[in-house]
Amino acid sequence: MNLFFREMKAARKSLILWCIGSFLMAASGMAKFEGLDSTGESLQQLVSTMPRSLQAVMGTGSLDLSTAVGYYGILFTYLLLMAAIHSLMLGAGIIAKEERGKTAEFLLSKPISRSRIMTAKLAAALVNVLIFNLVTFVFSVISVAKFAKTEDSISDLSLLMTGMFLVQLMFLAAGSGIAASGKKPKRAVSMGTALLLAAYILSIAIDLSQKLEFLQYLTPFKYFEAKRVLIDGGLDPVFILLSIGIVFILTIVAYISFNKRDIQV
Amino acid sequence: MNIFLHELKVYRKSTIVWTLSLAAVLVLFMSMFPGLTKDAADFQKLLQGYPEPVRKAFGISLESITSLLGFYSYVFSYIVLCGCIQAMNLGVSILSKEAREKTADFLLTKPVTRSQVVSAKLLAAISSLIMTNIIFLAAAAMTTLSVSQKPFDMGTFLMISLSAFLVECMFLALGVLVAAVMSIKSVLPISLGTVFAFYILNMLGSVIGEKAVRYLTPFKYYDTAYIIRHASYEPRFIFIEALFIVIAVSASYIIYSKKDIHAV
Repeated sequence: MNLFFREMKAARKSLILWCIGSFLMAASGMAKFEGLDSTGESLQQLVSTMPRSLQAVMGTGSLDLSTAVGYYGILFTYLLLMAAIHSLMLGAGIIAKEERGKTAEFLLSKPISRSRIMTAKLAAALVNVLIFNLVTFVFSVISVAKFAKTEDSISDLSLLMTGMFLVQLMFLAAGSGIAASGKKPKRAVSMGTALLLAAYILSIAIDLSQKLEFLQYLTPFKYFEAKRVLIDGGLDPVFILLSIGIVFILTIVAYISFNKRDIQV
Repeated sequence: MNIFLHELKVYRKSTIVWTLSLAAVLVLFMSMFPGLTKDAADFQKLLQGYPEPVRKAFGISLESITSLLGFYSYVFSYIVLCGCIQAMNLGVSILSKEAREKTADFLLTKPVTRSQVVSAKLLAAISSLIMTNIIFLAAAAMTTLSVSQKPFDMGTFLMISLSAFLVECMFLALGVLVAAVMSIKSVLPISLGTVFAFYILNMLGSVIGEKAVRYLTPFKYYDTAYIIRHASYEPRFIFIEALFIVIAVSASYIIYSKKDIHAV
């Protein structure tokens, strides 16, 4: 339990910074929303007949920009990216930092098993990720509420945030898995980030070319993207199962490899 | 000179990886260009059924974005993002390495001044960036030439491509400054956080159409649309960049020379 609180305290400052970032995004992004008038609506119909690749290049996607929630969908893409980076760096850093900061000897000579160390660290990271998600949710609801009826938007936003939480969990698990199983702890965060950027680039490439659509299972950024969630009105069960599976497997990998790890002192 | 060569060697692998990934991303995206022009042509046909003003408004933006240089600029914005992460990372990491890895006493007891250390490291970082950009440019030119059916303006193409290096220099200077001012524990959270903050600011700026954002984020300094139209950069942004780099670099020299660096 000491370890858990120690980690919570260590991550506090960066969590506050990330939450400020999320607040700035939500506030500044929505501040400029103005409902489009009727000509806007017919334009919106035209945009929706465009081929998907063109929509992607023009930056609208198939979101309905005339509604506040649709407009928020654009913002959500960036919030999702932020959340993913936050959880990945947290997951990788929280495991790798003992070796990096040469404190592994201190921690591992304490009378607790490695599994318990892992559990405490992951629990702390989980709470951090959850707080970031809730804070983002609250900021989003407030900033969207200025333009739309709260009851309508809350259900959409909570769906989006649930999706975001699953993505966060995946990147958290990926980060800790990489840090626990990788040879060089110094490299853990950079490798994880490379993976994340690759996934992000892949999600853009998929938007551009329909031929690549089968690759969407490889990039978590596609699992619960705003246009899919808002149009379907729900999260795709296939992707929910897939992401839970990924989180499960990566967490097990993290535990097993951390238990067997040769810690460099 | 030894420090310079040593740093080059240390960063060789990461430079190669960055260069290859940048080139790979570009090739991947540019290979979609033929498909996109086909989509655009189909959509143009569909547009015929719409009233004149709509056709005009859409036609123009479609034409510019589905032209080779238009699409290249779209793809290029992601390349610049990656390049800037590389640059900032390099800047933060190269100057903070000794303090982070507790080898500062080794380096700083050598008979070189701190300014010489900074110069060698800066030079190594710049060389690494230049190499990345040259190889990337070659790859980009080859890919673009092979996917284009119509001739395009090579000068403009080069100017767009070169703007990546200019933006990267700003982030390199910023990174070096950050490393000189702060005591850094881990590099990536700082560099990634900073670059993405500016990038998101830039994206939001273009969504909400804010003019003032242009001055705040280096990503907007060399607007590709402006380059395509005028075949030149905007002089005031070159000036701002030069000013920023001079201030950041000289501040780094001064601060690093006076800094308390803990040996162990």
